[in-house]
Amino acid sequence: MSVSPPAAPLLEFRDLVVRYGSITALQGINIAVHTGELVALLGSNGAGKSTTLRAASRLLPLAQGSIRWHGGDLGRVSTERTVKLGLSHCPEGRRVLGRQSVKDNLELGAWLRKDRAGIKADIDRCYGLFPRLAERRNQLAGSLSGGEQQMLAIARSLMARPTLLMLDEPSLGLAPKLVAEVMTTLRQLNQDGLTILLVEQNANAALAIAHRAYVLEAGRISLEGSAQDLRSNDKLRASYLGA
Amino acid sequence: MDTTLLQQMLLGALLGISVYLPLRCGQLSLATPGFYAIGGTVAALLSTRIPALGGDGVSYPISSVLLEMALAAMVTGILALGIGKVVLRLRGIYLAISTIALVEILRVVSLNLSFTGGAIGIFGIPQPFASPEGYVGFTSLLLAVVCWLCDRLERTRPGLAMAAIREDELAAASQGINTANTKLLAFVLSALVAGVTGVIAAHFLNSWNARMGNFDASITTLAFVVFGGTRTWLGPVIGGLVLTALPELLRPVGDLRLIVYGLVILMGPVLFPQGVITPERLSRWSRMLRQRLRLEAPTP
Ligand SMILES: Nc1ncnc2c1ncn2[C@@H]1O[C@H](COP(=O)(O)OP(=O)(O)O)[C@@H](O)[C@H]1O
Ligand SMILES: [Mg+2]
Repeated sequence: MSVSPPAAPLLEFRDLVVRYGSITALQGINIAVHTGELVALLGSNGAGKSTTLRAASRLLPLAQGSIRWHGGDLGRVSTERTVKLGLSHCPEGRRVLGRQSVKDNLELGAWLRKDRAGIKADIDRCYGLFPRLAERRNQLAGSLSGGEQQMLAIARSLMARPTLLMLDEPSLGLAPKLVAEVMTTLRQLNQDGLTILLVEQNANAALAIAHRAYVLEAGRISLEGSAQDLRSNDKLRASYLGA
Repeated sequence: MDTTLLQQMLLGALLGISVYLPLRCGQLSLATPGFYAIGGTVAALLSTRIPALGGDGVSYPISSVLLEMALAAMVTGILALGIGKVVLRLRGIYLAISTIALVEILRVVSLNLSFTGGAIGIFGIPQPFASPEGYVGFTSLLLAVVCWLCDRLERTRPGLAMAAIREDELAAASQGINTANTKLLAFVLSALVAGVTGVIAAHFLNSWNARMGNFDASITTLAFVVFGGTRTWLGPVIGGLVLTALPELLRPVGDLRLIVYGLVILMGPVLFPQGVITPERLSRWSRMLRQRLRLEAPTP
């Protein structure tokens, strides 16, 4: 009987070190995201969560260690290439283009795609997912509410047709009701087959939908496990879950 | 209007576009006068040193001017490509400072080279046109072509990428836009426009020297864009035309004119933070115009 080797993770950080000048933001982290998973990366302000995502989408140079995509090295790859490979990054703070319309923002998300018909179909799919964007399609993105801008930012990332979506604190600055709405949408997207790496400070919200989670503290992974285990972890409850 | 002034205004509009192009993707480059000086130097050297370009010797052939423009575009384009790769890694005020330094270096080098005439410069640049009217016609045509190309650019992929980078470089990059190449393209196009403008200016002014591209010119051309606006090509064109004409038109006011000129540059950004010409204002004006035309049209 032959045992097939376990499939390589879709995205993997191996002993990754990232520096900003003399500041070491990531001190050798290991994270694996497998196809179909919804993985949360938790941690307080300044822990290095955004740095992790920026390193994966190759917006930052790597000091040591590696980032792997289907087992292949992403070290020398451009951001453009990571998007083409199917890695989409929804950056912290929404960052929609305020002076452009909702529709133009969505089209920007499809920047590297050439299939006009597919892009049009996907824009309609985004409007179906976020009806409020459909009503405001010709409005300037800057005139949307915070929640609507977050939905637009997520929809824009989906326009690249990613296999893995990395979201940086989508709950930031949203009312609790909207946070729940965003999380429900993310769970739905995951159930429809999208792999998700979700960065959050709001551990409650993220653990409610994640399969597994990592906790980042001052550039190191201090805790990891299934979302269920982490929800009942005393240490985590004390520091992040407000219990 | 004085034709000589009109010609200077047209040159101002072209230089305004040159400053505008990098700003369209958020890059404050003040290198325009440097490339303008190189363009003029290319024209001055070719037209005074190469007899074959002079044609029958009566009037300088326009085909030779076009040839100078092509060569100036090549020289400034290649130079901008090399320099841009280095300086465009800098952002904001650091890019501005390094491009000012570039202009100064080019000026000092040209001042100390013998073949550019050193401090004296190059005199007796031949005239392709007998009168300023000829220059105005030729420069208007060039401005029209450049404006048309800018208008096309704003609607195509590189133009959309520039607008996205300007609004949010990180967001643009994370959607897969190649920000480094897009910024480089804008920088090179800016240099081409400045270089080609320098060719016409050298013939028009009849002489050329190192002082043509200096720090003052960096600030003046920046004022064109600050006044006119950086969101559509029409902004720097209007800015270049108006701010070149203003000091001359205000001459009757005497010494007050410089104060009035300064006030325009100072108050422009306060009253019109995005410049006088913005896409929103343009569409509002065109709506008003259409309404007025409809009101005045006789009812059938
Ligand atoms: N551009 C930068 N330059 C220097 N240091 C930075 C920069 N961005 C982040 N840092 C530092 O790196 C660490 C991790 O930051 P970040 O990844 O943004 O944390 P998080 O997203 O978890 O809040 C922090 O100490 C922060 O101060
Ligand atoms: Mg962050």
